[in-house]
Amino acid sequence: MTWELIVFLFLASAALLSALWVIAAKEIVHSVIGLVTCFIAIGCLFIMLNAEFVAIVQFLVYVGAVTIVILFGIMLTRREIMESEKK
Amino acid sequence: MNLFEFCYGIIHWLVDLVNNLWYRLGDTLPWYFGDFFTAVGDFAASDGHLTFMTILLECIIIILVALINVLNFLWIFRKLSGRILDFYGPYYVGYRIGGWLQNLADGIKLFVKEIIVPKKADRLGYLLAPIIYVGSSLLILSVIPLSENFGLSTNESGEYVTAGALFALAAFSIAPFAILLAGWSSNNKYTLIGGMRSAAQMMSYEIPLILCAASVFLVAGSFNFVDIVDAQHDIWFLIPLFIGFVVFLICLIAEVEIIPFDLPEAEAELVEGWTTEYGGMKFGLFYMTTAIRSYAGGALATAFFLGGWHGPSFIPDEIWFLIKAYIVYTVFMWLTWSVPRVRIDQMLGVGWRRLLPLAVLNLFIAAVLKSGGWI
Repeated sequence: MTWELIVFLFLASAALLSALWVIAAKEIVHSVIGLVTCFIAIGCLFIMLNAEFVAIVQFLVYVGAVTIVILFGIMLTRREIMESEKK
Repeated sequence: MNLFEFCYGIIHWLVDLVNNLWYRLGDTLPWYFGDFFTAVGDFAASDGHLTFMTILLECIIIILVALINVLNFLWIFRKLSGRILDFYGPYYVGYRIGGWLQNLADGIKLFVKEIIVPKKADRLGYLLAPIIYVGSSLLILSVIPLSENFGLSTNESGEYVTAGALFALAAFSIAPFAILLAGWSSNNKYTLIGGMRSAAQMMSYEIPLILCAASVFLVAGSFNFVDIVDAQHDIWFLIPLFIGFVVFLICLIAEVEIIPFDLPEAEAELVEGWTTEYGGMKFGLFYMTTAIRSYAGGALATAFFLGGWHGPSFIPDEIWFLIKAYIVYTVFMWLTWSVPRVRIDQMLGVGWRRLLPLAVLNLFIAAVLKSGGWI
């Protein structure tokens, strides 16, 4: 069991668990937090594969842009601020 | 001697010192403990562990130097606002050094305040947002080198992080997520509007910002800070890419949210914008992060357009870099207290209809200059 394997298992389980949380979360914004965690974990996996450029583009495009577009979509289409406030 | 060698020397000395005592301690114990002690000592002296600790120490030194500069920036902000608006600014705390200690006093005051989470707020998002915001801003600082010898490198030859400049821009672009999260989770109309404004502003101004940076990458032929600055040895990119420099500065002002573009925090309309519900040190962190991002912005503008650490050699390289970054920040402050705040539709209009075409034109000029071989 090398250190590399331990780091890989940590990142892979973080990606999988956060991906599950995207589906399971009650508040839809919590799903977005899970999505960002998943993207960052995958970016770190790219760094482990010696693909730094792909990792940086992953941060720039997915974390920086796609997430914000999704959040915009959520916030422009909901009437209540929070799900838990719905009567 | 570059920073890596310096840190490696310190770590190597420290590990040798501790290992010496550690082995001696292991020798006095029975053999089954002694074997364990030897294994741990060998691991501590192994090459991978030494490199890891060296990089950690490098990060700590770089962040500490950057944070001291951030304190200076906050002091300049308060002192210069005082000069322009005709009052003294910080004065009595640290009387002999121009009130420099005032920020530390304010920081201590904020630290001892109670941490309050509003009852209707979403706890997870409310507590996570400052962490993401501060963390992503500190990430920018870690990759910016102050000179050829003072930067984050992973081996003795002083080669810096691959695509470090692109990484800095990527870390810059994480902030809107934290801001929207903060605005949403505070569960308040004003914070939500502030967060939406902030995210809209940052998204629309990020595109011209990255296009201007792309023109610099194109001309320099590299994503690496050291290569970009070396490419400006003969002529600063300020002169051939003047349009790009102006667009870059305007976009930076919008990114760090200072006055002509501080709509997300507009006090007169939105109380305090997306930081309304935050108190104590969490507000302090947001306040500090604005200064961190100003410093990062000034450093990026310096490295991309103002020749980085090049300058007459009677002043050290690092000081040249900082002087230029301070000048960029002073220009920001000068603008801040001279122009009024714009309306949200005006601001987005300028971003999409004026700055974006200018940025594309700048990219075109850069491509022509590069393919013609004039630069």
